Amino acid sequence: MTPLIIVDDLTKEFLHAVKKPGLTGSVRHLLRPEYEKKTAVDRISFSIDPGESVAYVGPNGAGKSTTIKMLTGILVPTGGKILVNGVIPYKQRIENAKNIGAVFGQRTQLWWDLPVRESLSLLKAIYEIPEREYKRNLELFTDILNLGEFLHLPARKISLGQRMRADLAASLLHNPKVLYLDEPTIGLDVSVKARIRQFIKQVNQESGTTILLTTHDMEDIEDICKRLLIIDQGRVIFDGELQAVKDAFAQERTIHFEVRAPLHLAEDALHNQFPGAALHIQNEGSHCSIQFNRFHLAAGEIIEFMMKRSDVVDIHIDEPSIELVIRQIYESNLNNQRIIV
Amino acid sequence: MIAKWVKMLLLYVRFMKANLIALLEYRLDMMIMIFSSALIHLLGLVFLWVIYQRVPDINGWGLWEVLVVYAMVYVTEGISSFLFEGSWMMNTLVNKGLLDNFLIRPVSPILQILSSRIGVNGIGNILIGTAILIQAVSHISMHWTIPKIIMAVVLLVSAIIIRSSIKLASNSSVFWTQNPGSSFPFMIHSIGEFAKYPVSIYNTVIQGIVTVVVPFAFVSFYPAAYLFDKEVFRYWGLLTPVVAIYCAIGAVTIFNYGLKRYESAGN
Repeated sequence: MTPLIIVDDLTKEFLHAVKKPGLTGSVRHLLRPEYEKKTAVDRISFSIDPGESVAYVGPNGAGKSTTIKMLTGILVPTGGKILVNGVIPYKQRIENAKNIGAVFGQRTQLWWDLPVRESLSLLKAIYEIPEREYKRNLELFTDILNLGEFLHLPARKISLGQRMRADLAASLLHNPKVLYLDEPTIGLDVSVKARIRQFIKQVNQESGTTILLTTHDMEDIEDICKRLLIIDQGRVIFDGELQAVKDAFAQERTIHFEVRAPLHLAEDALHNQFPGAALHIQNEGSHCSIQFNRFHLAAGEIIEFMMKRSDVVDIHIDEPSIELVIRQIYESNLNNQRIIV
Repeated sequence: MIAKWVKMLLLYVRFMKANLIALLEYRLDMMIMIFSSALIHLLGLVFLWVIYQRVPDINGWGLWEVLVVYAMVYVTEGISSFLFEGSWMMNTLVNKGLLDNFLIRPVSPILQILSSRIGVNGIGNILIGTAILIQAVSHISMHWTIPKIIMAVVLLVSAIIIRSSIKLASNSSVFWTQNPGSSFPFMIHSIGEFAKYPVSIYNTVIQGIVTVVVPFAFVSFYPAAYLFDKEVFRYWGLLTPVVAIYCAIGAVTIFNYGLKRYESAGN
């Protein structure tokens, strides 16, 4: 399969004006401007196959948005290559625009003073969407995203959650091959987030739309994406399956038990059978939890062990949150080198 | 090719309609804008009238002829701002990173910028300018032939293109300056004030500026000189369509060159 998105040695440098503080600084800058070079994206390479769903994460200022802006053709790279569906975005901007949809969480692409329905109909004209396709998509999106309640209102009068849903619909009306999402769930409440994730997943699975998502919300990643690309200081520090990251960085499991009669279990008894497991007893013995490495011990054995010794009422298993995992990766990224799992 | 231009034109009309709908939300604001721009020009007229009370003609141009020059400035400015006011939005679009939205759509960003605003204040200019133009022309004894009428239309369209191109080119400076205000394009715009009067009254430097550097003289003076058969200037008037093409190509080139420098805005 030829990749849909090819990024090779991509670099973007910005020139920032260096101004000394105060009026004198400003005047001096006017007479002899000084600039410093800042590398936002530093020789990154990756490729994405059609139909993939990729999370593009990194700390603030890591270069995520800059990369997306180069992929969409908004910014011209300083160096390196980009190819999206065989098109160089910044050179063949209009050709590229037909293949892509983009949602920027911080900004709407709807017309501020126009009813949402009018905005969508303008997009129909812009993308030259055939009447049937437009109708079908609009009906589908209205249904799943529940747009009906605010289609007649101008964008400036609807809530953030409504706006985000409308923006998503707007970005997908023309059935793009790739959908870029830059923090699509920022500032939204739980139920809207869930609905949006569900929708994106559906678009990815049913229409085969390739998804590239940047987010700080770990649930977004876990819900929508199979692959994880982590960048820091403009460089890719990790690229791989989400599951592989979890296996490498999230080996810890914790089983929580609730028992009917207070538990009398010595830590030694546990250690004898399960070396490396840790026991915590809370609430005067009515609750306990056992922490272990899932590659050394099996959850089933531990549960069996507990069932023999007490009357277990309830069980649940915790794994480290993806947030914790990614934080570990950021923190272990001391020399800015690629992490291999 | 033709289909592409028709599509662009239709989109343009739709964008403008959208602007109009948005504008009607603020009706009072719109009326005030139309009225105030008309008022400013009435003051300019009074000024001209006072001058001509003292002198019969300026450099061989009578009151009504100067009024034609004057009216050309207003009509072209009115039409240009009614249709292409969006150029003045460029500083905002670039500084707030709103140009992003235009760049991810399969339509020329220039078309989207030009149609991002409708200049209702242009209506005032068009109305007053046309009224003056009709009055002035009817007071000048001229032999109107069909070729001359066609040429007059060509000159008018060329003048609008020149004006709009200068506006787009000067506003493209924001790609370099990243200035949140529009002081530079406004300065260029102000040079257009010279074109309200026959440029033959100015010294060579100013004549050079409004002919070559920022060719505002081709918006009003040279076309009028051609129509009224004024000395040597009438030959310059024939150049107007050429200058229009030159300006349009120049503006698009400057814009595209600047667009490569566009840096969007961080979140």
